[in-house]
Amino acid sequence: MTRRAIVFALALVTTGACRRLEPGDPLPGLSAAERARFDSGRVVFDSTFTPPIGLGPLFNASGCAECHEEPFSGGIGDEVERHAAVFHPERPGFPCDALAAQGGPVFQDSVTPALRAALGIDKEDLPPGVTTIARRTTPDVLGFGLLDAVSDSAILANADPDDGNGDGISGRPNRFFDGRLGRFGRKALVPSLRDFNDGAFQIESGITSPSVPNEGTVAGQPLPDGTDPAPDPELNARALVLNDAFVRLLAPAAPLKQSREAREGRDVFTQAGCADCHVPVLRTSDSPIGALRGKDVAAYTDLLLHDMGAELADICFGLATPSEFRTEPLMGLRFSTQFLHDGRATTPEEAIELHGGEATRSRDLFRALQPGQRAALVAFLRTL
Amino acid sequence: MNRFKLLCLALFIAPVAVAAQQPTAPPTAVPAPHDTVRGAIRAVDVRARTVDVTSGVGYALRVVRLQVPASTQITDQADGPPDRIGLSELKLGDVVRAVFGGPGTQFVAYTIERVGRMETGVESTP
Repeated sequence: MTRRAIVFALALVTTGACRRLEPGDPLPGLSAAERARFDSGRVVFDSTFTPPIGLGPLFNASGCAECHEEPFSGGIGDEVERHAAVFHPERPGFPCDALAAQGGPVFQDSVTPALRAALGIDKEDLPPGVTTIARRTTPDVLGFGLLDAVSDSAILANADPDDGNGDGISGRPNRFFDGRLGRFGRKALVPSLRDFNDGAFQIESGITSPSVPNEGTVAGQPLPDGTDPAPDPELNARALVLNDAFVRLLAPAAPLKQSREAREGRDVFTQAGCADCHVPVLRTSDSPIGALRGKDVAAYTDLLLHDMGAELADICFGLATPSEFRTEPLMGLRFSTQFLHDGRATTPEEAIELHGGEATRSRDLFRALQPGQRAALVAFLRTL
Repeated sequence: MNRFKLLCLALFIAPVAVAAQQPTAPPTAVPAPHDTVRGAIRAVDVRARTVDVTSGVGYALRVVRLQVPASTQITDQADGPPDRIGLSELKLGDVVRAVFGGPGTQFVAYTIERVGRMETGVESTP
């Protein structure tokens, strides 16, 4: 090998080692086997399902990447879903009906030709008695494996359900129906990434699997005969594992280099109290995957529920009341084109203006900022 | 066929023939447990002796209705050693683990253990 070739090879290695993570890349430091699972999992994530191989009969999308697509697999989407629930404030102890008897709070907006022919419907109708309908935008799923690796105790350490410190911010954990601590979803109900991914195949695409072996109902009514020709399960266990590996091993969007203005905005973010809920860094605990173990994740969330005020309230879910939402992670915010859980805000400034409840003080501090400080805060957010 | 092969054949056939003559076990009145569910109590009907348990995977939720005969062992394991409790002591939001079986969708609970409650407290998972 000539000296020139050695220098060229060294340059390639150095460049590769120092290459900035691009959105959609896997976490750095994966083993060859983990990288292979990530790549195979991407194939499952990018798959397009059709009725003969299991799509529907009710569905929102023909595959994961139909929604989580911009500007890469695992990114944001412009789809907005309908969720619904029944809230019984008069019922002590357990006032939320998440419509579990009807399959859950997600109501699908598309049907296969066979179901349309059988029932004459174009989407799943809401059952009678629903008290609230919610709109849900499509977030990116980058860095979710790191959020999954944060220990329960680290999340609960930030909880203050009775506002014991009197700062006006509570922070309550949600729990899944089996008692496990929740963390995923806008209401922080789902306890693990694997649960979220496996459930999504059935809920979003009507794909049954060993985890969720039964098709959903049509607003609580069984499917008409002949409308679901594919044998169950429509997806096998290996595909579930690989899909989960892809999502789990997606790296979070690396923050952009901060300008002087953005660094000033970072200070404003803290001074205005935003960081009280949008906790800048969570640390992961033990994990069988080295790339997920003992890492700081700049998620800007505490994964807890906070009262956001009556203006933003929609459905209840688990222990979350209609006005409680999980602190939205801000990592990857620069890719967002719509803000808040339902996309009603088109800019970060507008989203802050719509904060209420426990965030009222921070919102008011934001309103009182000088224009330059506001611009700095937004410049900081645009680096995330 | 030589004597050794005949002996082997006889040794093979004899137990099969004996087994075939054994009377088959009578069907049991209660089918063996075949599934478990862990979830939150959604409804309790003491008169009809049923409980509805909410469970699921992610957003894919389901409700399992269980018949609860008087013989079903219901215990409270949320605090300390297990205590036997009655059906009427199960409340909405209690987290239970149930072992059940039965044909089709008519499920019969064999055991129900109350392991905690869906609460927003900061204690670890029950």
